[in-house]
Amino acid sequence: MWEQRALYVAISPFYILFAVFGLFPIGFSLYLAFHKWDGIGVMTYNGLNNFKYMLTDAEFWQAVGNTFMIWIYATIPMLFFALIIAFLLHAPFVKFRTLFRVGYFLPNVTSIVAVAIIFGALFANNYGFLNYLLQSVGLPVVEWLNAPWGIKVAISSMVVWRWTGYNAVIYLAGLQSIPQTLYEAAKIDGASGIQSFFRITIPMLRPVILFTVITSTIGGMQLFTEPQILVGNDGGAGAAGMTIVLYLYRESFINNYFGYGAAVGWGMFLIIALFSIVNWKLVQGKSS
Amino acid sequence: MTSKSLKSLVLYIGLIGGMLISMFPFYWLIVMSTRTTSDIYKFPPQLWFGSELWNNVSRVLQQIDFWGAFMNTLFVSGLVTVLVLFFDSLAGFAFAKFEFPGKKWLFVLLLATMMVPSQLSLVPSFVLMATFGWVGSFKALIIPGMVNAFGIFWIRQYATESIPNDLLDAGRIDGCNFFRLYWNVALPILRPAFAFLGAFTFIGVWNDYLWPLIVLTDARKYTLQIALSQLNGLYNTDYAMVIAGTLLAVIPLIVMFLFISRQFISDIAAGAVKD
Amino acid sequence: MIRRKRTCWTAILLVCVMLVSGCSIWPGQNDSSSNKKVALTLWYWNRSIDDKLIAKAKEKFPNIELTAQKIGGDFKAKLKTTLAARSGEPDIVALNDWIMELFPSEDRFYNLYDLGAGDVEDQYLDWKWKQGVTPGGQMIGFPMDTGPTALFYRADLFKEAGLPSEPEEVARQINNWDAYSAAGEKIKEKFGGKVFLTDNIGTVYNQVLSQGTERYFRPDGSFIGMDSPLVKQSWDTAVSFKQKGLLANADGWTPGWNAAMNNGEIASFVGAVWMKQVLQEAAPDTSGKWRVTRAPGGDGNNGGSFLSILKSSKHPKEAFEVIQWLQSPDNQLEQYKTLNLFPSAPGVFDTPAMKEEEPFFGGQATGPVFAESAQHVPEAFFGERYPSVHNIITRRLNDIAKQNANPEQVWPDTVHRVERELQR
Repeated sequence: MWEQRALYVAISPFYILFAVFGLFPIGFSLYLAFHKWDGIGVMTYNGLNNFKYMLTDAEFWQAVGNTFMIWIYATIPMLFFALIIAFLLHAPFVKFRTLFRVGYFLPNVTSIVAVAIIFGALFANNYGFLNYLLQSVGLPVVEWLNAPWGIKVAISSMVVWRWTGYNAVIYLAGLQSIPQTLYEAAKIDGASGIQSFFRITIPMLRPVILFTVITSTIGGMQLFTEPQILVGNDGGAGAAGMTIVLYLYRESFINNYFGYGAAVGWGMFLIIALFSIVNWKLVQGKSS
Repeated sequence: MTSKSLKSLVLYIGLIGGMLISMFPFYWLIVMSTRTTSDIYKFPPQLWFGSELWNNVSRVLQQIDFWGAFMNTLFVSGLVTVLVLFFDSLAGFAFAKFEFPGKKWLFVLLLATMMVPSQLSLVPSFVLMATFGWVGSFKALIIPGMVNAFGIFWIRQYATESIPNDLLDAGRIDGCNFFRLYWNVALPILRPAFAFLGAFTFIGVWNDYLWPLIVLTDARKYTLQIALSQLNGLYNTDYAMVIAGTLLAVIPLIVMFLFISRQFISDIAAGAVKD
Repeated sequence: MIRRKRTCWTAILLVCVMLVSGCSIWPGQNDSSSNKKVALTLWYWNRSIDDKLIAKAKEKFPNIELTAQKIGGDFKAKLKTTLAARSGEPDIVALNDWIMELFPSEDRFYNLYDLGAGDVEDQYLDWKWKQGVTPGGQMIGFPMDTGPTALFYRADLFKEAGLPSEPEEVARQINNWDAYSAAGEKIKEKFGGKVFLTDNIGTVYNQVLSQGTERYFRPDGSFIGMDSPLVKQSWDTAVSFKQKGLLANADGWTPGWNAAMNNGEIASFVGAVWMKQVLQEAAPDTSGKWRVTRAPGGDGNNGGSFLSILKSSKHPKEAFEVIQWLQSPDNQLEQYKTLNLFPSAPGVFDTPAMKEEEPFFGGQATGPVFAESAQHVPEAFFGERYPSVHNIITRRLNDIAKQNANPEQVWPDTVHRVERELQR
């Protein structure tokens, strides 16, 4: 009994802070979603109109599509490379492991603003480094930031660059938390390297993989600063870089539809929640 | 022997190649910040360092109080990191290794909170800060950020696999209560997870932009990102200066990260030896 | 092990003490506001007001404690959040050309007419003054700088392409958009597509529009309609520039634009006077090659800012004194010299400082060109929904310019989107 009370105490700080700083904003935004408000003047009741507008707005659906596309472009290579890097670093005979780990994690240290500035210069149409590379091998230059796919590639590559090392460090921590004794026992039982990889490594790594999939889903769905700085509040050419949160931000703070912005926030919350549950089931279910 | 050395050759080529890609944007940032604005726009691009670094940096330092902002950022990030590590690990450990009524739903709620985009709550959160009288105070940056769902989730995932149940049972038999188990059993094992979560939190707070911009009112309390954003006037096109400012904000973080990483690595090594 | 434990506890204890004490051990806490001075806070963005002028204002008003805060980045987001929360508002705030978005909230601002603004009204340009007055007749914004437009062009490239290159000659021969477009085709031909007439489709649309006497709304707030001749003319001109291949597709405020200018890929653009500063910084390598002349199609205005006093201020009188002083004709002239902010007080247009020769423009004195333009800006009503309608149209134009969308299909869709927007 006493122990359980201690447990509630241990988890309480989060819930207390959430009640104070989370619940009120969430409730407020729910209220706002049914109102029309320019952010400054009086609010007027707007019924379901905000939601109706959202569901019939081509730009909203485009933003949803863009967000998923960019998420896929970014997440698959990111987690794949992260796993490979983690396994390479975990190999027992690797030297300079510290150096490598620091080197790979370093991109995550950079602020998004800085990343967007650097990548803006890498992908620039007329003075960018990538076009220089293309030209020096005899290929035609690409107007990256004037093409919808180019914008998506640029944004995704920022995410990949910044988060691959981060995920690799998480995977490596996961690999290192697997007790060596398990492998030794398997060896004694005559298991091959591949067998112990699938029987021990992958199952033991599952919570960590699940963690990275969930967090990159949540992070990917909330992508905002990268496209905003790279291509501006309207999402660049053909609104190809318009993500859901950028749309929410533009509708609220640029176009002054704070009520509508709140409705978009709720729409987005539902999308992320559904999508995360699907992800969870997929990753969780595969092994059991 | 040969297959092993071949293997390690491939491995090193992979690792070094990846590392070069990972480092290149930093190199590019440094090259650009040593150049004039018009050099940056040249095509083909300038691939080697120029001599304008000091010029660019001194223009940044003229316009903003870099050191003041640096100290403010250090203070806020450091404090938030310590608090987050403590509160998150306590909760994460409880979620990972103990059963209690309502646990499942509490955890689902915790995950759900991560899905609310922070841009949505900008206005109501500010209203709240104003009600508490925290606008313009570091409290507005520290207190709402001192515990977070992400860290609890991470610690939970890590602790689930890495803290052996036998060790906890042994502790219980010795009469340890929850906090003793946390302190004596969980903390030492969680240290590698701490290094990561700590670095991550620190970086996140250091680079935070929109919230501090809105909440801080006094220039003497500006954090680095906010101070730097002042360089962006409406008509500003001094690109070399903006890039030099960006570099200035990144360097302290890299240096600090290198410091932390030493601790971070030795902890992991210590953990390995224990096994 | 034990020692480590102790340091940990000490750290946590220290943190708790800091929190309880409200972090007051940290520098930056100030208790100096207890003297009897009137405290005023001013929000502005970098280079909207000269920092030295603010320092002078502090000397000029010894009874006022003026705290000027330079707000970076998302100025508008910060202002809106603060206004929404009704807390932490400054006394004086600079507003940009989006001032009309705040007209519905006129009750959050002091009516500057009540504070005596009417006494100096005749010192400022009429059309500029009116932009700070709401449809209800409340004056919420005091004129700062303006943005009269003109044609910026590369004299060397024009000459090479066989076009006139002296400002008077250019103004005479290229005096409408058709002549300008024809000049563009000559340039395209001469340089084999390596040099474009102008930067992007938005510039063309925007500039044709800003030479007219209406925008999208009537002063009573009603929508003029997408079939307004001015909108149609602006749209068609912009589209024709795209179809003739005269656009570099370089968007303003991006490093790409700067690079295109610096590398000599753009031969001209119609822009506001503050583009002088932008251009000089973006394209230092082209110094001496630019000239400025009256724009094809007539004069217009882009941008320019205002100073307002929020209703929450306890000292509107003092705040107004400060505003009036900061934006007095003499001080506007001062800021023209230091920051290239173009005065809205025509009384100073004739001073020598406004007629100085500028090396970047090959020794041309550009001041008189803009002064002339400023006095002929057609008055137009914007209305609070101007930005949202305008943004929809320019976004769709960008689809035509950059993605080769078919203008015949884009137009009806644009009309539909605007109508939808207006029904919200």
